[in-house]
This record gives sequence, C-alpha cells and structure tokens, in this order.
Amino acid sequence: MKRLRIAFSALAITFALVWSAFTRAPQAQARERLGSFEPSDSSRLHFPTQILPILTKAGCNAGACHGAAIGQGGFKLSLLGYDPESDFDAITRQFGGRRVDFSFPSQSLLLRKATHAIKHKGGERIDSDSADYRAVVRWIEESAPYGRRDLKVSTIEIRPTDVLVSAPGKTIQLKVTATLSDGSVEDVTAHALYSSNDDSVAVAGEEGSVEVTRRGLTAIMVRYGGQVAAVRVGAPMGDVEVEAGSFPPQNFIDEKVWDELHRMRVPPSALCSDDEFLRRVYLDLIGRLPSANEVRSFVAQPSTTAGRRKVISELLKRPEYADLWTLRFSDLLLIDSKRLGEEPARAYHNWVREQLASNIPFDRLVRNLLTASGDFSRIPTANFYRLAQDPRDMGEFVSSTFLGVQIACARCHAHPFASWTQEDFYGFAACFADLRSELTHPKTGRDIAPKPLGGRDPADRSADRHVALAEWLTSHENPYFAKAIVNRVWRYLMGRGIAEPVDDLRVSNPPSNPALLDALASDFVANGYDLSRLVQTIAESRTYQLSSHPTDVNRDDDRLFSHGYVKPLPPQVLADAIAQATQVPDAYVGYPAGTRAVELIDARAPSYALDVLGRCTRDIACDSRSRGGGVSQALHLMNGATVNEKFRGGVIDRLLANNVSDTRIADELYLSTLSRLPSTQERDFCIGRLATATIAADKRHLIEDLLWALLNSREFAYNH
Amino acid sequence: MSGQHAALKRCDGLNRRDFLYLGAVSFLGLSLADLLRIQSAQASEAGPAAKTKAVSCILIWLDGGPSHLDTFDLKPNAPAEVRGDFKPIGTSVAGVQICEHLPRTAQMMGEVALVRSLTHELGNHDTGSRYLLTGRRPSAATEYPSLGSVIAKESDNTVAAVPPYVAIPAAVQAAGAGYLPGAYSPFSVGGDPSRADYRVRDLDAPEGVSFDRFDRRRTMLETIDGFSRGVEASPATAGRDAFYEQAYRLMTSPAAKKAFDLGQEPDAVHNRYGRGKLGAGCLLARRLVEAGSRFVTVVDNGWDMHTGIFKALPDAQFPGSGKLPALDHAYSALLSDLKERGLLDTTLVVLMGEFGRTPKINSAAGRDHWPRAGSACLAGGGVKGGQVIGATDAFGEAPIDTPVRPEDMAFSILRLLGVDPSRQYVMPNGRPLKILDTGDFIRGLT
Repeated sequence: MKRLRIAFSALAITFALVWSAFTRAPQAQARERLGSFEPSDSSRLHFPTQILPILTKAGCNAGACHGAAIGQGGFKLSLLGYDPESDFDAITRQFGGRRVDFSFPSQSLLLRKATHAIKHKGGERIDSDSADYRAVVRWIEESAPYGRRDLKVSTIEIRPTDVLVSAPGKTIQLKVTATLSDGSVEDVTAHALYSSNDDSVAVAGEEGSVEVTRRGLTAIMVRYGGQVAAVRVGAPMGDVEVEAGSFPPQNFIDEKVWDELHRMRVPPSALCSDDEFLRRVYLDLIGRLPSANEVRSFVAQPSTTAGRRKVISELLKRPEYADLWTLRFSDLLLIDSKRLGEEPARAYHNWVREQLASNIPFDRLVRNLLTASGDFSRIPTANFYRLAQDPRDMGEFVSSTFLGVQIACARCHAHPFASWTQEDFYGFAACFADLRSELTHPKTGRDIAPKPLGGRDPADRSADRHVALAEWLTSHENPYFAKAIVNRVWRYLMGRGIAEPVDDLRVSNPPSNPALLDALASDFVANGYDLSRLVQTIAESRTYQLSSHPTDVNRDDDRLFSHGYVKPLPPQVLADAIAQATQVPDAYVGYPAGTRAVELIDARAPSYALDVLGRCTRDIACDSRSRGGGVSQALHLMNGATVNEKFRGGVIDRLLANNVSDTRIADELYLSTLSRLPSTQERDFCIGRLATATIAADKRHLIEDLLWALLNSREFAYNH
Repeated sequence: MSGQHAALKRCDGLNRRDFLYLGAVSFLGLSLADLLRIQSAQASEAGPAAKTKAVSCILIWLDGGPSHLDTFDLKPNAPAEVRGDFKPIGTSVAGVQICEHLPRTAQMMGEVALVRSLTHELGNHDTGSRYLLTGRRPSAATEYPSLGSVIAKESDNTVAAVPPYVAIPAAVQAAGAGYLPGAYSPFSVGGDPSRADYRVRDLDAPEGVSFDRFDRRRTMLETIDGFSRGVEASPATAGRDAFYEQAYRLMTSPAAKKAFDLGQEPDAVHNRYGRGKLGAGCLLARRLVEAGSRFVTVVDNGWDMHTGIFKALPDAQFPGSGKLPALDHAYSALLSDLKERGLLDTTLVVLMGEFGRTPKINSAAGRDHWPRAGSACLAGGGVKGGQVIGATDAFGEAPIDTPVRPEDMAFSILRLLGVDPSRQYVMPNGRPLKILDTGDFIRGLT
C-alpha cells in the first residue's frame, strides 16, 4: 500500500512538472506581445520602473524567496521591491558586484540563476528566450544604471473598476495603468502582479486576465511599483432576477443590501419568526436569553414591525446592554488587571461602562482616551497609554483598534497588500513617542517627526502630539475612523463584517458591499457618532431580521447578508446562558454573588469554564482569532461542572416541587434553553421519555438528561 | 490562463495548480502531507531529515527556568558566590560531570546529548517561554504556533485514539496554536496524575451518571439535534460538530481509556518514576506516546528560584520536598523505560526550561533570570548520546563554544521529528510564513 502511494505521488509530481513546463512557452509569447520595456535610448533606462518589476513579476522578491526578512541563499531583496535603492545595491554592488558581469552580461550570476542555467533552489524564473530576459541583459550591457533617482510610481489604476460576468467560466481582461511621479502614464498590464482574494471564485492570470470560476463575489488585488489597487469581480449567484417585492426595505441598510442582492441575483431569505427574533436580539444586544415569560408574552402578540422596534428600544435602555458592550470594548482596549493593577483596571472598566451607559458620542470617547494624561490611579483614562511602552506597539494598537488598519507589516518592510511604507509606520508611531523615547528610523537612524497615517504633517510641531493625533483620528475627514467602528458593530450583530477581517481594512481588501459600509459610516457621522442609535438602526433593518434558514440559491452566500448567519455564543454569554437556563448562577471569586460572566472586569477571575470556552485573555487583540473550541470544550460541556452541577437548586427543583405536567415540563425546558416552545414532535418526544419514569428519582434523572441534551444541543450553542 | 503558473510558483518548487492537483488525488488515500514528505525526501538539500527516526516527542518543561549551574553545568572552581552548595559527580560518560543530586540521571548520560550553550536575550518568563517553545522571537504582531501545534498540524492524517498534542497537566500559555486554528492547541489532561484516583479532566461521565445513562443522554441529544430546525448542520457548525465527535470517541475508546489509566501500571513502575506529579506525568507521557500521541509536554512548575535555591533543589526538608530528586527519578526512569521497551529510538525526549539562572547568587540565596546561558538535554529519537555540546565560560555566564539559539533548538527538534522547518504556512491574513526563518541543526546532535 505504502509503495503504491509513493508511486502515485511520484506520478503526481511528475505530472505537475511536465504540466508547468508545457505551459511556459505560450506565456513567454504573451509577454512579448504586451511587453514594451526595451527602450532604445540607454539614457532612459530606469531600474525601479523597468528592471525591478521584471524581478517582482518573476517572483524573485516574494516573501517566500529572496524577499524574506533574511533573504534566501545569501541574496536579499526588499519584499516585492519596496526599496529599489537597496535592491539595486544588492544586485550591482554586493559581494564586489559578482551578480552582474559587464563583460559577458548573459553570464551574470543574476541571470544564470534566474534562468536555472546553474543550480537555483527557486528553479527557472525567467525564460532565456523572453523579452524580460533581453531587457535585463540590455540593462547590464549598459552598465546596469539606476536611472533617475526621483522617479517613482505615484498611483495605479485598474479598468474596469467593477466586474460582474454573466456566468462562471467567463474570462475578462483587466488593464492597469501607472502614473509616474513625472506625470507620465504607462500601461503596465503585463508587469503588474495579480492575485485573487478568493481562488474558489475567480482566478487571476499573470497578464491581467481574470476567469470567474464560480458564482459569488471576490476581489482581484493588483500590485505594481509599491502601489496597490483592487477590483471586485464576480458572477451572479442565481439565474433569475430577484423580485423587489420580496424585500420591502425598513431603512437605508436594506436599500444598500438589496442593491447588491439584486445585482448578484441572490434571493433573500424570509423574515425570521418572532421567537427567533427575540432570542437573537436579546443575545446580540444584552447578552442574555429572553426569559420564558418574555418569550410567551412576545409571541402571544401579533407579529408587527412596531412590536419588534419596541423590543429593540427597550433593550437599549437595560443595564445589561451596557454590561455586554462594556465587555466588547474592554476586550478591544485590552483592559487587564495584571498589566494595569487591580484598582486602575476596575476604574478604567467602570469608566468605559459609564460612557456606554450614558451613550457618549463615540468620537468623544476615543478623544478622551487619546488625550488622556496624568495619574492613572486617579484618572481612569490615563490607563489607555499604559498598554505599551514602545510607541511602535502603541501605534499598531491604535491603528488596528480605531482605524481597522494593520500597519504592523510596515514595521519591517513596506506593507505587501497596502501602500503603507516604513516611513508611514514610523511617522505614525512617533505620534506616541515622548521626549524620553524619541523614535529613530531603523534604516536611516534619523529622528522621525510624528505624522498621522495618510494625514498631513502637523502644521504646528510644538502642539501636543496626542491632541493633534486625536483631532486627526476622529475628524470627519478621516476615511477609516467611522468605517472601522461601524464595521465592528455590524459584525457583532451580523456575525460577519462588511469588510473582513474587521481589523484589516485596506484598498486591496474591499468590503463585500462598499456602498453599505459608506452609508453606515456617513449615517453614523451625521448622527453624532451615536453608538446606541447605530445598534438600533442595524437591528431594525430587515436585513438583521432575516431568517437564518437559507434558500437553495442563497445557501452559499456568506458575505452579502442574504440570510442570517449563525453565530456561536461568545464565551461569557454562553456561560451566562447556561446559568440563566438552569436558574443556578455561577460564583466568581472576588465578585459579589449573582455577578454574571459578562460583568467580570477582565479575564483574570479564575474560571476553567471561561478559559475552555475561549474568553479573550487580553494579552493580544482577539479580533480575528478564535480561541477555545476543541475537544476540551466539548468534554467540559458534556461532563464538566458548568452544566452538570446546575441540575440541583434551580429550574428542575422548581418543576418537580410544583408537580407540573410532563407537557409543561417539556415546554419549560425548551423555553428556558432554546427560547421557544417545542414543536409537536419535540414535545411528544419529551413526554414519551418522561413517561418511562417509574419512580420519582427516575423522573428527576430524565428531566436532568433532557436539560443536559438541550444545553449541549447545536441550537443552544448558536445565535441563529 | 496558463500564465498563472510562474507567478504562483513557490520556492519549494510547487505551485498552486499543483496543490489543486494534489487535492484531487487525495481521494486515492494520498494526503498532502504524504506528498510533501516524499517531495522533501526527494529534494537534494534535505540533509539530516532524510534519516528521520523520531516519531514522537516528550518535552519535560521545567517552568520558571532551571539553574544550569546547579544541574548540568556546575562550576566547582568558581568562587563560592557563583559555585553554590552542590558538588559535581561523575557520570557513565567519561569526563562528563553533573550535579550530585542527579545520580540516576548520571547513569543515563550515555543516552543524552547535553547542550550547555543554550543562549538568548529574553529574560522574562512569558517571552522566554514563547521563544523556546515556538523557535521564534516573540512579536507583538504575530502569535506563532508552538512546536507541539506544528507537529499536531503535520500529523493531521494520522488517526490515533489519543490526541496528537497533549499537555500534562496543563499547557503553559506559550504552548498554544498561535495563528494556526484552535484545533491544534494542546489537549490539557488537567488535575494531578500522581493521585490514586486520577482521572483526565472531564473525560468520564459525571459522577452518578452510569455509562448507560450517558448513552441515554447522547441519544436524546442526537434526537433533539435531529428535530431542531433552528440550527442545521452547516459549514459554520462543522468545527463544533467535529469536536463533539472527537470527544465522544475519546470517551468511548477503550484504547484511550487505557492510555490515560495509570492504574494499569504496577506499583514498581510508579516507584521507579517517583510518586510525585512529575514522575506520574512522565509515566503518563510514555503511555500516551505508546498510544499514538505525537507531542507530549510534561510541565513541572516551581523552577523560578529567586530565594533559597539550595534548599529548594535537594530534599532539604523532607524526602520528596526537592525538585532535583523528583526530576532525577522521573527523567532517568523515562529514558530507561523507553529504552527497555524499544521506544527510545523513536521517541525524542527533551528537557529544558525558558532560561538559565544568574551565576552570582543573590542576597536571598537565590538566583535570578539569566537567558544568556542555560542547559538542555536531548535524548532518543536518533540523537547521539554520551556527548556534551557547547560550553560556558568559567562562571557559566555565556557560551564560549557552539552557542545554541532557541531557533536552533526548535529547528533540530522539528528536523528530528521529520518536519522541514522551512515549510511554509499561510496565516489567516494571507501572509505566507515559514515555520522558522532561521535556525540550524545543532552540530553533532545525530
């Protein structure tokens, strides 16, 4: 068997190699057709825009090859060519210039390696019978000049800007033009790098052709000369036009969602039922299950839009609303008593809760944090800057938390998927430096002036850096600030960000519905950064209230919000839900009896259950990572104390003491766990099981087992 | 469309179309890991990986940072404020001396490659642990997977009754899956394996729930899930459903139950390993490796000895009070037991902590954190025993020969276990990342 496997795999590898060799020739021809980098006038030779793109395109400076932090085989290039000067140096000067041979240009080590004429771990990267090859030879013949030092690529533009093909299998051709710093414009279609954000939907060819392979939506990222752009591509998910009447809008959200559903021919699911709505909105807004009585009285009334709106506005006023959102923001701010000290952490946590309970405008909340100073033991917000000593860490934290922008890549090299450079990174980090820890640039060693991301130099250098930063960060003109927070709030409620991941907004990662994100951000700004109004607007939309049952056509949609996406209950909410359903509270050391998991100030309160359920430990941002899960969690929920020690002194005792009917027991168990009445089938099943009890002890066991099964059921574990 | 090949081609010679193709052949029972393994074996530059022996690894993690000067790197000629209280003793290897409180270990040194030149710069428990356990310098931006998680990922296709990556009794924070999916986190057995009534945490049905009753519960759960229209099984719930399946398997597998049941070992074996937590932990680790676990970490707490180190290390207060006798028993028993069972060749045993301790004894008769120098022991799994690798200076302050960095240690462990450290993973944000960027195989180790 083993031998057979080896034979098969050898075959597979051979096949792959033959295949790629076979496909190489037509590719070289295509390059020649499009390529135009063979200038006749040697004075116009320009390394950064004529030679470097060839190496980038060939993959020489990819992260896995010579673009790695430590290079490869002693030859290091900057990642995707962000630093032409040092690449020029590495190629023409390093090791006494052994990589280029001016007497016999085609014998240059650079070319012999790239063509695999001599041993090269990366294999053949450049065909010796190609225009690219000849361009490099010619460049070396002319003594490998750098060319104009001041000329660089300013912007790139992709045409068309948005692609929707009629059906999978269709291929379209993109056209990419670059505008250089001297104003000249070049067609760089053949020399740009293309990659698909989702290969299962669309595949990008090397020369800018894009084949849509499946119904759905994704984006093609295009990179050239340090600039990044993206274009959305897709194919409609359904064959027939969706009827507008199936989706009467409640507010502007639905209009924007509808536009995209209509364009993509995705039929929306129906509105969710009243009991589904109630459980969903309780869990999302206040982190609790509705009580059995709340469910009964809500479903007893006729189902109306007004009725649902009333529930939403009432929930926004409940203290548990502030509790849940304080947990979410404390996770974001990484409030941790081990780092900050017990009392400062508590005061900071309480401050956040006060802001949310009084619904202070979000821009003001952030300004208060960014401009905080003074004694942290008296001023809660002064704990904000205690998160990190190093201004670079602080810069990364602020950009990912409040702007949804990842700049960490640019600490060491230009961001490969965004246009952030090391200069941007260090300029932004310098906003967090003080006189004691003035930042110097890692390459030049010079001091760096503070400069917000994509912002202008502060006019007044003497102004307080934090005040200047706060003004820029929370200003209406900042393209990221409002989008980042509305996208996060959207994700809490909808289970997926409009742009995902929520801490990685960038041009090359476009939102699944750009108009929706823009509209939400504008509405948020226009209404004074009112968080609870934002929550209300989303919850009132038809989009939020769609059933999580997919239709045949929208089943595969996971980004256009055509149906409700099921969300696992967050760790603290799940623990609280178990306590609430069983009517047996948890006890947390150092907290008064009755404190819920959602109310704990940080993750230091000892609780194996919360650990195994995967609470954010707040040592590093938890945005895009799921902890918990795993076999340990399943074992704990099945066999551990969190469920099994809650069968006495709670709901079961009450049911037995009141000697209620088996029908009533079934109803109560379903209401308290799944927040709905059982179906006839479910009720009959429970009654049938309970009827097998011969003695009282048996009956208790059967109720316990049913409750155990409900608490371990798939439906309980998710908000749907 | 053919043009995509060159652009997507990677340094390892495979391009994405190949991966798709490999995906297509996987139904033949051929896993990607198999293919990659074969491919890396074919690569001419594979080096020592070609003669991989080790199948599993047991890591004994001395949490807090063991003093190299009082264990494996004594300096009898140094002044008293460096030398400390303990005397060196000879071992079964001519010319190699270790601490007098490790006499059993001394007799096993023929199996051990003793590294005396482990060195780095991170003198903080958390960052130091991360460095050693991941082989990468900790970063604020990226949480790297621990070696055990890498091994768990690489053993995706091996089916065993027990989890691939286990921590006894519980994983240190640095031993997690990092950017890899949570499924590659260690399974923590919990509790204290040295107790006579020891059970893996939550593995048995709760007290008072018989097997029949648990079965009844499980049937009810299946029925209720089957009736429920609320949340149907979908890709979104697949992870959870799979974990419940695995949990059931673990609970009901006689082989897993047997592996976790230390009661199956005769008294003599318990005595041989030592009756404490560490001894029982090592014994459990051996049983798990026998049952198919690939990476088992035994965590021994309490090595952070800022005060009274010469009282805490030997049995100064009562038999069993000291760290060294317990370690001596457990470690020597593990090595000799594995050898007798013919498992030492396929089981790599690593003994280390996050750093060494200050050569100069402090005013509280303790030693503080000292990452510049530390010792580690490697044995089994193809390691050439009976040798010392590297050396520190006269006071044990820094390596003077063959410095071994955390990267080198991680590189060597992965290589010994047949994993190419330059293999590339893709982070959730799309960034391609090698398991390790730097690191060399420790010279002379095999």
